[in-house]
Amino acid sequence: MTALTNQPQKPEATAGLPMRPSLPWGTWGVRTVALTYLTVLLIIPILVILQDGLREGLGGLWHQVTLPIAWHALKLTLWTSALMTLVNTIMGGLTAYVLVRYSFPWKMLLNSLVDLPLAIPTLVTGLMMVVLLGPQEAVGSWLKENLGLSIIFAPPGIILALLFITFPFVVRAVQPVLLNLERAQEDAAATLGAGGWTIFRRITLPPLVLPLASGALLSFARAIGEFGAIVIVAGNIPLYSQTAAVYVLGEVESENRLGASAVSIVMIAIALSLVLFVDWLQSRSRRSG
Amino acid sequence: MSIVLEQLTKRYDGYPVVNNVSLEVKDGEFFVLLGSSGSGKSTILNLIAGLTSADHGQIILHNRNVTHLPTQKRRVGFVFQNYALFQYMTVAENVEFGLTIQKVASLERQKRRDEALELVGLAGLGNRMPRQLSGGQQQRVALARALVYGPDVLLLDEPLGALDAKIRIDLRRNLRSIQRQLGITTIFVTHDQEEAFDLADRIGVMSFGRLIEVGTPEELYQRPQTEFVASFLGTANLLVGNITAQSVELGPIRLPIPPEIQHAGSERRVQVLFRPEDVALAPTPAELNCPELGRGEVEETSFGGAQERLRLRLAPIAGVRPIAPLPGFGSANILVDATRSPEQASRFPLQLGEAAWVGVHRFHALVHPGLSFLIVTDGSLRAQAALALGGQIARLAHARVTLLGVGPNGQAMENHLQEARKQLGSGLAALEVQTSNSPIAAAVATATEQAPYDLVIIGLSLQENLALAEQVLQAGDFHLLLVPSPQPAPTQTLICATSGEPGKEDVLFAGRLVRHLGAEATLLCVLPVAAKTPGRLEQTQRFLDGGVQSLSILGVPAKTIIRNGSATPEILDEVKNKGYDLLVMGAPLARQSSEIKLDGVVGEVLTSLTDKAVLIVRSHLIQSKNPLTQPKALAK
Repeated sequence: MTALTNQPQKPEATAGLPMRPSLPWGTWGVRTVALTYLTVLLIIPILVILQDGLREGLGGLWHQVTLPIAWHALKLTLWTSALMTLVNTIMGGLTAYVLVRYSFPWKMLLNSLVDLPLAIPTLVTGLMMVVLLGPQEAVGSWLKENLGLSIIFAPPGIILALLFITFPFVVRAVQPVLLNLERAQEDAAATLGAGGWTIFRRITLPPLVLPLASGALLSFARAIGEFGAIVIVAGNIPLYSQTAAVYVLGEVESENRLGASAVSIVMIAIALSLVLFVDWLQSRSRRSG
Repeated sequence: MSIVLEQLTKRYDGYPVVNNVSLEVKDGEFFVLLGSSGSGKSTILNLIAGLTSADHGQIILHNRNVTHLPTQKRRVGFVFQNYALFQYMTVAENVEFGLTIQKVASLERQKRRDEALELVGLAGLGNRMPRQLSGGQQQRVALARALVYGPDVLLLDEPLGALDAKIRIDLRRNLRSIQRQLGITTIFVTHDQEEAFDLADRIGVMSFGRLIEVGTPEELYQRPQTEFVASFLGTANLLVGNITAQSVELGPIRLPIPPEIQHAGSERRVQVLFRPEDVALAPTPAELNCPELGRGEVEETSFGGAQERLRLRLAPIAGVRPIAPLPGFGSANILVDATRSPEQASRFPLQLGEAAWVGVHRFHALVHPGLSFLIVTDGSLRAQAALALGGQIARLAHARVTLLGVGPNGQAMENHLQEARKQLGSGLAALEVQTSNSPIAAAVATATEQAPYDLVIIGLSLQENLALAEQVLQAGDFHLLLVPSPQPAPTQTLICATSGEPGKEDVLFAGRLVRHLGAEATLLCVLPVAAKTPGRLEQTQRFLDGGVQSLSILGVPAKTIIRNGSATPEILDEVKNKGYDLLVMGAPLARQSSEIKLDGVVGEVLTSLTDKAVLIVRSHLIQSKNPLTQPKALAK
């Protein structure tokens, strides 16, 4: 019971005088611990990598980033993530709508399954993709032979893996807003003569725009840094299917730390600005909701 | 006629939330649907607007059959309880929404929008967002939005329910004057009686999906047709007395036969209604200036603004049974509610505990509808047994009987029904015959949707067909008598009750039925050994004593037994050792899924009894908790 001795002493209440609020030692303690933790864990590593990447100045950083292989890896990362985000936004919104508005057997189970990608190691995700769609497997070889479509070890595989991994983000952003949305508003629009599409466009969609956007941006940010699944799925062919995260690993392994840090800084910058933007969006949606 | 509903029925999971409702609302009429929550009144509005589809029946708006039209084409203005304003649009955009859909030109649209906002008293607030307005203002916007595009009818679903008392009254007046000004046919749904009386040209009272009665506020208050409406609207003093060829007898009072009862014929029971303001109080019988009911003691007083409210307790009166105010369980005293003006109160001040003579100025007699039975027959031997016993009970109870022949139509069925008619013979209040090709449970469901029954009687062996009993119980809101084999009219009844409110209802309905049979009753409670604490024992004994009192008021001699142990074997043991010929049990609670399952004690007892009639009593307390009677919860 040593913990007891650490607890702040209660100041004695003096009769007649208003009691002073107890000294916020506890509050101070908690605050200090939390902020120190944040600094040590998040801020210092970021500062360190910034310092490392800028060792040879901005010019050096720019040089490393614009090396053809690095540049291609960054471009590949961005466009696959962007395409994935587009699909995920539409399908995630639709999934959330179906989960909220319709009742069907096994709905509870399916609803829980939405979070599964967060729990599955992304390496396993990659493996599942390869087992399903690899060129040696039934589905993969059929697609290759009949449609000329390579998925694994090619950009489509990257997009599929990213879709799987970021599936929960849009669904979970939209679901609570949809749940709170009054059905009566849609009914009211119907009594006023509005058809299904008009109701969706003018009544249902507007409150969903912000959550859709924040879910989309979060999944985009998550996708940029994805490594585990992609390292298995993409095949890591430089100038074809190597993404930025995998490129960083390659550079670390070939002892080009400057290159690794430089590309990392670009990825961090993108992620950070997205997170800040999402934060701003969410605070706006709270204010208006 | 602006709105015509023909035999409208809506079921959720097989349970009718709107049950065979027919209604005509005249042009320009302000019609109020009044009922407690879950009575189906909002569902009717949703049906008219097409927000839910009807399972059966027709909806005709201004001679246009809209039953199968989508909401968008019905031209109804709808106002929701929670306003349902479009949160992402300004007030002006909200109001213009319907006009935009109709592609009305911009200038015309603005003109009509401004007129509508002015009509509801919100001119100049068009640029606000809905959440910047108070609740009352938001509902005004909703009203403007519903009216601006010129709908054929206006439907209001508890529009004032979410507002403060004062704003509610303001908006109510406003609403009424706007409705008069526009002359638009309106249906207004509410559970608030005051609101209904204040607004309505006519009121329709709903309960459990049925439209019980329709009339002007005055008609429904002063001259209701049914016990339900009499006790539901306002405060009612409702007593059961006798009607003879000469007069209505209420204990010592002889009242003239009112014109609404055309032919008294033979002597029978009649329900007499009088309102608190129809009660006279005086220190002596002579000063009453009206027929006297008896001398009572003031039990409660309160001041309700302009009036003094009193409740008096009168000693039991021979031949009079109180229905409302509800006497205590096991008490035969008669309670009378009275109101007096301050002037009357000052002339004869009354304190708690003081005595006064109670008289009645004005009264209304309801023809006692009596019990109504549905006897199901398929021509089998067991059905014959049900027919025989049911017929006998019906004759003794002077009940109305509907005979439902189930099975392939043909000569055999026709002969059987002919035979059955003869067997039931005279002595019934009424006899009607129906046939159905559907399976038994479906046939019962259809029949009970067309008319309410107190009791359904079926010949059934529970050992063989427990599932059928479950299906039939699920088919509607009635008590069920199961007859497994031929037997004479019961003389010894065993009522298995658990102490508590549903248990009280079991006892009371069993009493109403057994009373007519002249049978004796035994009240049985089985306590688990573990629950045999003095407190529990005392509580159970109190409950049973109350039950005996209630039964004796109904004229049923009764005794009580408490047994200890496991319920099923104890009940079976009691049945086997003594000569009971009718067993009464409460229906088990419906499950969340609305299924009624006869497992547990009731099912165990039923499957073990092969030769005794069993009455399964349905508690209304259970009914009202049934999730199926809350259509809103279901719709989500």
